[in-house]
Amino acid sequence: MRSPRLALSLLLLAGAIAAGATASTSADPGITSKTILLGGTSPLSGTASAYASIARGADAYFKYVNSRGGVNGRTITYKYVDDAYNPVQTVQATRQLVEQEKVFAIFNALGTEHNAATRDYLNAARVPQLFVASGGTTFGRDYKKYPWTTIGFLPSYQAEGWIYGKYLARTKPGAKIAVLFQNDDYGKDLLAGLKQGIARSKVKIVAAEPYEVTAPDVQSQIAKLKASGGNVLALFATPRHAIQGYVFANRLAWRPLIVNNAVSSASNIMTLASEGNTNKSVENSISIVFLKDPTDAKWRNDAAIKLYRSVMSRYAKGANVKDVFHVYGMAVAYEMVKVLKAAGKNLTRVTVMTQMRHLNDASNPFLLPGIVVKTSATERFPIEQALLQRWSKGSWKSFGGLWGYRAG
Amino acid sequence: MNRRPPIGPAVFVVAVAAVMLLPRFISDFRAQEFAYVGIYFIALLGLNVLTGYTGQISLGHGAFMLIGGYTTAILMSNEEPPLKLAGHLFTNDMRDIWTIPIAGLVAGIVGFLFGFPALRLTGLYLALATFAIAVAAPAVVKRFEHFSGGGGGIQLFDLETRTQSTSITDPVTFESKELGVEVFLGINIPSFNDWLYYLCWTIALVMFAGVWLLVRGRFGRSLRAVRDSELAAASSGVNLARYKTFAFGISAFYAGVAGSLLAIATTFVNPDTFPITLSIFLLVGVVVGGLGSLWPLVFGAIFIQFLPLWAQSISKSPGAPAVVYGVVLILVMLALPQGAAGLVRRIVALTTRGYDRVR
Repeated sequence: MRSPRLALSLLLLAGAIAAGATASTSADPGITSKTILLGGTSPLSGTASAYASIARGADAYFKYVNSRGGVNGRTITYKYVDDAYNPVQTVQATRQLVEQEKVFAIFNALGTEHNAATRDYLNAARVPQLFVASGGTTFGRDYKKYPWTTIGFLPSYQAEGWIYGKYLARTKPGAKIAVLFQNDDYGKDLLAGLKQGIARSKVKIVAAEPYEVTAPDVQSQIAKLKASGGNVLALFATPRHAIQGYVFANRLAWRPLIVNNAVSSASNIMTLASEGNTNKSVENSISIVFLKDPTDAKWRNDAAIKLYRSVMSRYAKGANVKDVFHVYGMAVAYEMVKVLKAAGKNLTRVTVMTQMRHLNDASNPFLLPGIVVKTSATERFPIEQALLQRWSKGSWKSFGGLWGYRAG
Repeated sequence: MNRRPPIGPAVFVVAVAAVMLLPRFISDFRAQEFAYVGIYFIALLGLNVLTGYTGQISLGHGAFMLIGGYTTAILMSNEEPPLKLAGHLFTNDMRDIWTIPIAGLVAGIVGFLFGFPALRLTGLYLALATFAIAVAAPAVVKRFEHFSGGGGGIQLFDLETRTQSTSITDPVTFESKELGVEVFLGINIPSFNDWLYYLCWTIALVMFAGVWLLVRGRFGRSLRAVRDSELAAASSGVNLARYKTFAFGISAFYAGVAGSLLAIATTFVNPDTFPITLSIFLLVGVVVGGLGSLWPLVFGAIFIQFLPLWAQSISKSPGAPAVVYGVVLILVMLALPQGAAGLVRRIVALTTRGYDRVR
């Protein structure tokens, strides 16, 4: 049964790379002497639409770069389309971007399963899948199988979990951790990292309750976690369920130390969770941070945040400037521009991939000072550093030095 | 009840010709989009047997599609290590198209069995019960991670063979010569998208003919009797339990086939592939197409496939696509309360004035 499937597979490929047929001879699709066309999917609607700001922030930054002459004389068009956080639509939209719009690369597409769904296709079609907006460990780890795929600016979920584990092991030796996690690769990666971080310490995980991303609420999970007797609650959950975690913990009069993962720790989400300052369980929450938070008073006069505000007001009218996901989009767009610049005037998919393997940038202004964006032939996670931060009186305050992930 | 005028078969022949020729006039990518229309059409045909003809509301057809999709995925998958249950029971790594009837049967049997508890429920309560399976199905799939691949799903796109051959083969030349072109019903199919299109629409037309034959005879009359008045139907000797469970089974069979094709077309399944909104979209599609109609369901399928895409091309600001979608849906329902079928009926009634079209 191999040959018919092989034929079928290659037929799909034939369709996919019809556009790329000229790859070896002249310019790749999506590139002209004046333009670069990037595509990507984003949940503009549906359960995860909070993340749409990531694409909008990146788009605003590209427009800003274009207004200043673009990259090596080319302007960037970033065509981001809705997938409603549904992999079927991600696949269709991605095929449309590749086959019909003939994009140069897929950039900053959002979601773990969603990028996994298109990864094989894009690698077969030899379309770069750049800066995947997911911390799924697989996107940085499995580069041998998927050479055209690169992970974005989230520290891998495993690294993030590891940092929490190490921190608790060091500062709270008797901690009993109760974990709420989303029942997919993202939640499980975080949990695996946490276990790795507390290995050989006295800290224990006393309970771990999964929830489905489609679940209306997590009340019963929180009740079970409270009953486990934990004194630390880890919320490895996307914004809606993380907020519910805070709300239900408070209603049950449970006051653990709460560790909240980075995907849900944006200040506007924390403010929602605090229910107008009536929910005290939010106070003293711990999370990691690697971006400059536009609501943090510390950065009020920071050049990058000033630039961020002016770009947002010019190219993303009406958007919520406090939303840190916009900063994420800009940070990753900044790096994309840098890669395109370094790939030179003779821009091809291959030269871009070469640059992606040799990132070494300590100057990305949207990231916290000291964080180095770095990749090599054998190390494909661009960001493995973060600070810890604590929520106190309505804003995050970072503390301690940078944590760098070391596996094992 | 009047007999329909004999335009049915003629329309069918014209429709077949149109469907078969369409890919010549549209781009390769559009062919793929219309393949999805064919898939939704199949699902709508099945749902309509249940909802339009038998009067049983189902908000859970996404779950039957999920069963079909996963059956195909598990049979096709050649993952290493092999998915456990699949490895023991079946030979996996099966050719995709042979999994389609199996997927339909598995879903059909589940649907048939679901028909028994559904006998005790009517109207709103049945809608809620079927909605519950749509909600529960993704969680159940994740529970059996060792053979469903869990949240990460099952990838059906064969990477290894592909990258090896592309590195050897010049992308310009391999397109037709080295591998041969898939020949399907004597037609040369130059690309995967065209292949997909013909696959989906051939099956859709066969299944359309199936429903057409099914609902026009005694069986269909009994189904309609159940819909219009269960009491009257039972007193005329219609076995309610039998017809309801069969309607569930047939309907689920169609959904299973559609789910299987969805998996083949997307080359990937995971629980989010069959979200709750899919079940709701299917019901919307049936209503837009016209309850108790057959070929106007194509419009329902087009609605499902294209409206969300079109809605976001209007505006990308937060929430706007959903609002556009909702507004269009409301307008369609206000203007065409009987769906596309109602519109067609009105046009036919105007052109063949005097002909009694009461159904």
